[in-house]
Amino acid sequence: MLERLMQQAERAEVFEIQSEATKIGFEANKLKSFEVEETQGIAARVVADGRLGFAASSDVTAVDQLIENVLASAQLGDEIPLHFPEPQPGPSVDVYNSELAALPASQLIEIGREMVKTIVDADEEANVSIDLTRRVRETTLRNTAGTEVAVRKAPLSIMLEVERVRGDDVVTLFEYFNTTTLDDGYRAFVDRVAEKLRLAQRVATLSSERMSVLFTPTGAPILSLPLIHGLNGKNVYRGISPMTGQEEERIFDEKLTVMDDPTLDGRPGSSPHDDEGVPRRRNVLIDQGRLMGYIYDLKTAALARAEPTGNGERSLFSPPSPSFSNMVVANGETPVGDIVAGIDKGLLVETPLGLGQGNVISGAFSNNLSLAFKIERGEIVGRVKDVSVAGNIYQDLRDIEALSLESEWVYGGIRLPYILLPRLNVVTKN
Amino acid sequence: MREQIEAAIRNSKADYIEIRLEEGQNTRVAYRGPDLETADVVIDRGGLVRCFVHGGGWGIATFNDLSDLEYRSRQAYEGARAVQAEPIELAPIPASEDKITVSLENDFRGIPVTEKKSLTQEYNEILLESDPRIVDTQTTYFDTFSRVTFANSEGTYVAEERPMVNVAFSAVSRKDDNVQRAFEAVSKVAGFNAVKGHHGLVQTVAERAVGLLSAPPVKGRRYTVMCNPRMAGVFAHEAFGHLSEADFVYENPQAQEMMVMGRRFGRDILTIADDGSIPGLRGTHKYDDEGTPTGRTDLIKDGILVGRLHSRETAAKMGEQPTGNARATSYRYPPIVRMTNTFIEGGSTSFEEMMSGIDRGVYACDAFGGQTALENFSFTAAYGYMIRDGEIAELVRDVVLSGNLFVTLKHIDAVGDDFEWAEWGRCGKGQGGLPVTMGAPHIRIQDVLIGGE
Repeated sequence: MLERLMQQAERAEVFEIQSEATKIGFEANKLKSFEVEETQGIAARVVADGRLGFAASSDVTAVDQLIENVLASAQLGDEIPLHFPEPQPGPSVDVYNSELAALPASQLIEIGREMVKTIVDADEEANVSIDLTRRVRETTLRNTAGTEVAVRKAPLSIMLEVERVRGDDVVTLFEYFNTTTLDDGYRAFVDRVAEKLRLAQRVATLSSERMSVLFTPTGAPILSLPLIHGLNGKNVYRGISPMTGQEEERIFDEKLTVMDDPTLDGRPGSSPHDDEGVPRRRNVLIDQGRLMGYIYDLKTAALARAEPTGNGERSLFSPPSPSFSNMVVANGETPVGDIVAGIDKGLLVETPLGLGQGNVISGAFSNNLSLAFKIERGEIVGRVKDVSVAGNIYQDLRDIEALSLESEWVYGGIRLPYILLPRLNVVTKN
Repeated sequence: MREQIEAAIRNSKADYIEIRLEEGQNTRVAYRGPDLETADVVIDRGGLVRCFVHGGGWGIATFNDLSDLEYRSRQAYEGARAVQAEPIELAPIPASEDKITVSLENDFRGIPVTEKKSLTQEYNEILLESDPRIVDTQTTYFDTFSRVTFANSEGTYVAEERPMVNVAFSAVSRKDDNVQRAFEAVSKVAGFNAVKGHHGLVQTVAERAVGLLSAPPVKGRRYTVMCNPRMAGVFAHEAFGHLSEADFVYENPQAQEMMVMGRRFGRDILTIADDGSIPGLRGTHKYDDEGTPTGRTDLIKDGILVGRLHSRETAAKMGEQPTGNARATSYRYPPIVRMTNTFIEGGSTSFEEMMSGIDRGVYACDAFGGQTALENFSFTAAYGYMIRDGEIAELVRDVVLSGNLFVTLKHIDAVGDDFEWAEWGRCGKGQGGLPVTMGAPHIRIQDVLIGGE
């Protein structure tokens, strides 16, 4: 196909994806469904007469139609100085464990049963749904510059949903775990969910005021999501990132260091090359509060006259765009127990609602919290209902009281510590 | 293809089996700022087999390669046997044999991509040229035409054409650190004409994005809130509709108690319903993705809980009737209980009457999004205004409504006489974006928590 495209275009690229997944579903604490998923598809890009075109098909036999579509797309495309990368080695990173790739479904079912038991032991009224997915995914990228890169991953992902209804009081937890390592990491994950559920038994009241707010790793995406948007090269090139033009400046508290790290073993977001064949590398984007750089794919880098950073990611039906592999906020030095012990009156933010709904790029956040706890005299005293937090990260992350020693992976690809902000606006119904 | 589908069903050893195949083509034109992101055509084909055996559970296979359906049916059967679960029962529905074709005025499949690009570019330029403070735009045209074939072992065989055409406009304005945005979209089960002539709407987007730059953030506290029809529609869908989905309650006795029929949820003026059979709306189909005919289901009638939304499985489990709400986002997913077109029925109070009772309030308009964790909800308005002494006052931003559903529904104390359907709607439950429509008149809610600085 690449050869056929070369006859009609200056440069071309073919991206193939193939994946097989086994999915086990638990509903209402019971095993419910068994699913096999096979995915395949081809996407192509060309530069013809200097213009960029894209097309894709999930029918891999429709090659003639795909070639026709990608050339037609290029006729309408913008002129872009896009060059596909020449072959370059990427870092070695372990994201395929053959034992995990071949793990029998019966063992996935066992993991699910164990997790249900842990949750129900913590709260017998809990209603647990789990989706366990073990996938083997292979992508191949070939381009006319001679690059041919295959990336194979075998991630295990677990989505856990817990509901507990008592009268009109509802506790809901959505938690996500993933790995490419075959070990018992899921146990620590489910233990923590069970602990949250135990803590949620007691209800406490809190009045509206400015106070210390401690974000747990699952609550901290309220703060990291605007960073993900602001550090995206596309938003910088468009001039809508509030960080635009502040390179080298200290824009956050010096406790804050943020990087994109695709070189971590065992993480589904890691890989030696990105989806455009560019070698991956660890990029420190915010170094002790100082803005160091942004993430780019090939096209955005070409437009912005920047270096591609190996952050081109794509799904079958969309052209690549800049995306974090693993977003890592460096941890601090204080054990979380000590942080909590030092808070006289504050709020512990576990689960936000409405993440990503607001004007995220501006840094503003205002989130109702589906799970939050009151901290009083150094102790977590109970769950606070009907509470929201609001602020703007471009002000509030200038003054970070503490980052914890402990950190966790959340939402699949973000590693976060506990983050304590000294004064944040908390609104409650009282 | 029909022969292969029917053979795979006939030869399956499962106690129930269904096959759903989808073949479609999408055209997309997207501008970001002055640059064309893409103008492309993609081809999508895939299918799903779902079955169960007595003594087992659901077995599912999804795939892109449509060449060997008997193999897929065996994969699903093996899956069903590997699961030891409680017996699955499906509420009975009549077997249907039907073919649903559409005839679109100025069918978008006959329009060259160049013309789709020109139209998109024209809209995009309105945004770019309207004000120097508009620093970024996203203007997207998207059309899709798919043929979905559904067959099951009870004799249902339905082939349906599913077209949709959309345009979406978004503008980002910036002044120093202040970044604001505005968004509008039009989406129709219709031909190309439905996306033409929206220049005025695009101009509104530009003006709103710029207007928000000088709007102060709303002050966080409790207010009387007027929701415009689009915000009220999202509220009905997100805050209440999801609780009416029977898959939330059918395996959960405590949740059933909470959602017990006859419970009062609101005042007499409040009626909320779902109807998948209203012609031309985004959530409309003649049958759902299990072959059940769609129709109207009242959820709250005159303030009282009277119904819920079902798939065949949840209906059987609860001894109720299937409602035609088993929907799947694509061939990649089995059907689950979803809403179709959900609405708050129009009332009798005029806009002026509703406003006249408000000393200090917020007029919340449109919704960037909404999320609920059952009793808790959070909605972000696209923009809003302060209300002072019954009059609409200054534009404000960062209007986020949050609160407790049960309390808030009872606080709806006026329902307007100006019902309308939104032009666009999408539901993200579980499987990601599924087209739905939300409708409502203006509603007034007492004592709502608005977050903010």
